[in-house]
Amino acid sequence: MTQEIIQPIATFIAAEILKQPKRSIQPAEALISSGLIDSFSLVDLGLFVEETFGVRIEDTELNAETFDTLEQLARLIQSRQ
Amino acid sequence: MTLPQIALGAFLALLATFLFSGKRRGFLLFTFSLLALFALQPALPIRYFDFWLPTLALGLVMGLWAGITPLETVLSKENLLSAAWAATLLLLLGLTRIIFPNPFLTASLAPRMQYIFLALVILALGIFLSSRVRAPRQMAQAGTLALVLLLIVLKSPQLSLWSAQLLRVLNGQSAETASSFDLRWLGFSYIAFRLIHTLQDHIKGRLPSVSLQEYITYLFFYPALSAGPIDRVERFVKDLRAPFHLAEIDWVFITRRMTLGLFKKFILADSLALIALSPANAAQVTRAPWAWILLYAYALQIYFDFSGYTDLALGVARLAGIQLPENFNQPYLKPNLTQFWNSWHMSLTQWLRAYVFNPLTRALRGTSLPVWSIILLTQLVSMTLIGLWHGVTLNFLIWGLWHGLGLFLHNRWQDAFRVRVTAWAGTPARQALLAVSGAVFTFQYVALGWIWFVLPTPQTALAFLFRLFGAA
Repeated sequence: MTQEIIQPIATFIAAEILKQPKRSIQPAEALISSGLIDSFSLVDLGLFVEETFGVRIEDTELNAETFDTLEQLARLIQSRQ
Repeated sequence: MTLPQIALGAFLALLATFLFSGKRRGFLLFTFSLLALFALQPALPIRYFDFWLPTLALGLVMGLWAGITPLETVLSKENLLSAAWAATLLLLLGLTRIIFPNPFLTASLAPRMQYIFLALVILALGIFLSSRVRAPRQMAQAGTLALVLLLIVLKSPQLSLWSAQLLRVLNGQSAETASSFDLRWLGFSYIAFRLIHTLQDHIKGRLPSVSLQEYITYLFFYPALSAGPIDRVERFVKDLRAPFHLAEIDWVFITRRMTLGLFKKFILADSLALIALSPANAAQVTRAPWAWILLYAYALQIYFDFSGYTDLALGVARLAGIQLPENFNQPYLKPNLTQFWNSWHMSLTQWLRAYVFNPLTRALRGTSLPVWSIILLTQLVSMTLIGLWHGVTLNFLIWGLWHGLGLFLHNRWQDAFRVRVTAWAGTPARQALLAVSGAVFTFQYVALGWIWFVLPTPQTALAFLFRLFGAA
């Protein structure tokens, strides 16, 4: 189940945000605190998650404290589905 | 804050934990924070205003809380007792005028008791009316607007000068000697941003139910009163509610952070202050190398001062079982401006992202505007607001624009060259070279920005900038 959530997000980040479609992103890799995703792309990521999984991510939740890795984001999505 | 104040703050936090592990610890922190609101407020030349400004802060907080809280909760025994205790503390502060010949706990003598009584009646009436207006959403929006307007008045030199003149006249004092520093309201920038956070979260239905005592303690929490960090209420209240015992105190963390904080603030920052760029020495230096030394000294001084203060605030708060959020994460070692701003005054930038940058970006993403223009606009707006939060002046505006533009340029650079740079940086040596050169370049960019931050007018800033490059 988690993998089904992680995969499309990892593909979106690699292709749309990093513009490196072949780049693989590990489930435990830090995305925000490492600087991989900047604040603008983070909003895009939030919008992608909302459209794809039908859950709301609040503006106050787009930060490394709420989720910093694909695993954490997947757990957040699951908790709201 | 002075060393004795820090020592007293640490002692009181420890005392609260030593005496009580449960709810009463919260009561003591509430009491200490309320007293600190008055005790830390510096003396003001407008008579009794160093008492009335903290009183007004308390009134605003209580009024807004009553406006967004269900009536039956406002009238609960616990909350009425908290309000009564706050009023009692105000009266006790008034009593110090009679008992002690010199100001005690307040910067100057407290006002006469009859005026404090009158203020309490007005305060109670305001809270009563606020709780009867059954329109919490509108109350939260109006409160946000009022706080923003108040910040603009307090932070713009001309408006605060006019306000000071008006208040002096109303107070029977001469308006001629008024200055824009007459209304130095300790910690209000931080209090206002915490308040706006709670009001906006209330509108979104995300504000947890908090008692008056918890709300006041969160807003005026004394280790974070004068210079932050800006915590989030749900996180703060979680720590406040959790039982905390003396045995749970993390002495390693506290000793490390407080030693580091004292060293950074009182040794490094205070020594650097002797040679750091200031309005006084900017015009005196004539040679470029000295100008660079002044500028770098300032860049380091502001970091050690502010991050040292944060270390102390975090250490003192931990003694009472509160884990305040981090504010700095080695910002000057970051390889680019984006990461610098993820590591500098983090609680303020998080606040701005949550309430300005993210909603604005989200709204603009729904339009047909090209991506680059959205990034430019949102970065400029966010950084300009951070600039103006420090003061509504042209130089703070330029400082904000400098950083907004820098963040935009870094974003575009990454977008264009990320793939190529990643491919090039295949070896550890090349990665290290990139990290070091990036950090040096970023530090240089941030340092040049500080000129606008520290010098008061565009003329003095430009003159100093020319001097740095040997042009004047």
